[in-house]
Amino acid sequence: MKRVVLLAAALAAVYFSGRGYLVNLAVVTALFALPALGLSLLMGYTGQISLGHAAFVGLGAYASAILAKSLGLNPWLALALAVVATTAVAWGIGWLVFRLRGHHLAMATLAFGIIVHVATVEMRGLTGGQDGLSGIPALSVLGLELGTDRAIFPLAWLACIAAILLAENLVRSPAGLTMRAVAENEAVAASFGIAPDALKRRIMAISGFYAALGGAIYAHYLGYISPGPFDVGFSIRLLLMVALGGFAGIWGVLFGVVFVVVTSELLKPLGRFDVVIYGVLLVVVMIYCPRGLLDGLRLAVRAVGRRFAGAAGGGRA
Amino acid sequence: MTEFAQYVASGLVVGAIYGLIAIGFTAVYNVTGIVNFAQGDLAMLGALGAIGLTVAGVPLAPAVVLAALAVGLLGVVIERVAIRPAGPDVLRGIIITIGVGVSLQGVAVLIWGTDAQPLPAFSGEKPIDVAGVTVPPQALWVVGTAATLMAGLYLFFARTYLGKAFRACAINAFAASLMGIPTAAIRALSFFVSGLVGAIAGIIVAPIALMQYDSGIFLGIKGFVACIIGGFGNPIGAALGGLLLGLLEALATGYLSSGYKNAIAFVVLLAFLFARPGGILGELEQVKR
Repeated sequence: MKRVVLLAAALAAVYFSGRGYLVNLAVVTALFALPALGLSLLMGYTGQISLGHAAFVGLGAYASAILAKSLGLNPWLALALAVVATTAVAWGIGWLVFRLRGHHLAMATLAFGIIVHVATVEMRGLTGGQDGLSGIPALSVLGLELGTDRAIFPLAWLACIAAILLAENLVRSPAGLTMRAVAENEAVAASFGIAPDALKRRIMAISGFYAALGGAIYAHYLGYISPGPFDVGFSIRLLLMVALGGFAGIWGVLFGVVFVVVTSELLKPLGRFDVVIYGVLLVVVMIYCPRGLLDGLRLAVRAVGRRFAGAAGGGRA
Repeated sequence: MTEFAQYVASGLVVGAIYGLIAIGFTAVYNVTGIVNFAQGDLAMLGALGAIGLTVAGVPLAPAVVLAALAVGLLGVVIERVAIRPAGPDVLRGIIITIGVGVSLQGVAVLIWGTDAQPLPAFSGEKPIDVAGVTVPPQALWVVGTAATLMAGLYLFFARTYLGKAFRACAINAFAASLMGIPTAAIRALSFFVSGLVGAIAGIIVAPIALMQYDSGIFLGIKGFVACIIGGFGNPIGAALGGLLLGLLEALATGYLSSGYKNAIAFVVLLAFLFARPGGILGELEQVKR
């Protein structure tokens, strides 16, 4: 809880600093954090890989945009329907893919991600194809349209903080223990009376819920969506965020999101070079800091410190 | 009938490529237990490397050989730098090879940009007409190279001492090391073979299908689907699976619709994963661990 208060204080400082650029970065962070947290619940806590998570973000965004724009529904209603529908889709996908594990699961989820991406490009009548959908109505509160960085900021972070609290509760609850048990060893978990497949489907649904919420808010906030941002590259960036955060760790993942958002801003002048950095970073983190970048740095600092202490004490460690 | 024969011909050509990539997957998987998600990117890099060399003025034949060998060596470097330190964990292996693939794509963008690159056909563009079926001369190169390479690999694995050591590692790496087989060297060799075969696949198909930095993803996934069809870890199954996938794709594109060409591979993938995860030739129990 203390951390949430600190986070809220930091956010308030950003919001009232009046720096439009910082506010924009914070909004982007919140919108990435939602799917990343969902992926962390699935990959970190339950041990199931997903390489197609961008698809759920895309489904949420497109469903909400189409419902609000083409059917003329109230944007809030469209958002709610889209999120519920995507959650159901995620459950259904879970029903399909969790017959598989390991490499096969990875490939099946990757294939799912690509199918959704291809569909958003090919179904021009519904999605506008490569040109995307523009003119998506913004969400509004008491007549105030949430179409700018400053206006969407409170909503995006309220959703994100709610997601953090929910996730924290979930992983601390008995359900959280069963998730870890399934991640450790499915056979043992099953012998305790846990139904691994049903649990995985449920976590997949929650994970899809988080992703769809992020996507739907994104669609109404920008007012324009195209297939580009929801491709495999985005799934892999989500993977990187979760890996940087050490997979299982709500706050670590939030750090991973901030890290990726900030580095991608810093790397913008280098153009396409950022992809190489992300790839190398993913490999390095997986090999040397399997429990996240922060943990890896902490261990490195401690090792260096010990070496210096050893040198001072006569060179024997 | 001619139409059908035409589809079959083009399907077999593409299928040969998928088969080669699938063999690359198999070589690494059998020895290390890792599915190299960067396999397709190695093919892409081989093709773009050969193109880069020909643009720089190197004649075609040495350019092809140099690019293929370089990618093979790159495979060895990847094994040493990224795969070996990570240990045998499946999830880590997947994520690391994805990271490697993303890095390779990034490097390809930096060197060649995002535009598709053409490679001149090996022996002219004049189509050959066989009983009403037209094939580009490059198609013969593809089928011929693939057949030679597959036969060569078969002889290597079945008849040579090194090939035997390789198979021993695939069956049981620990027991192989007790017999004095240098397993680390064999792992490196498996990555060399897979890089080499993948690069050759990418190079010979480049004159037919334009190559760009992200072509590797689709090549990789289709090679994987070919592995699944043939049963993972079975090199002959991988080659057959590739041919079958190529045929299915060509027929479906011809008779149904071309817009969803890429979706067909995924439908086949999902169908096989759910109905027959052991493939046509594979053993069910072994795969569905």
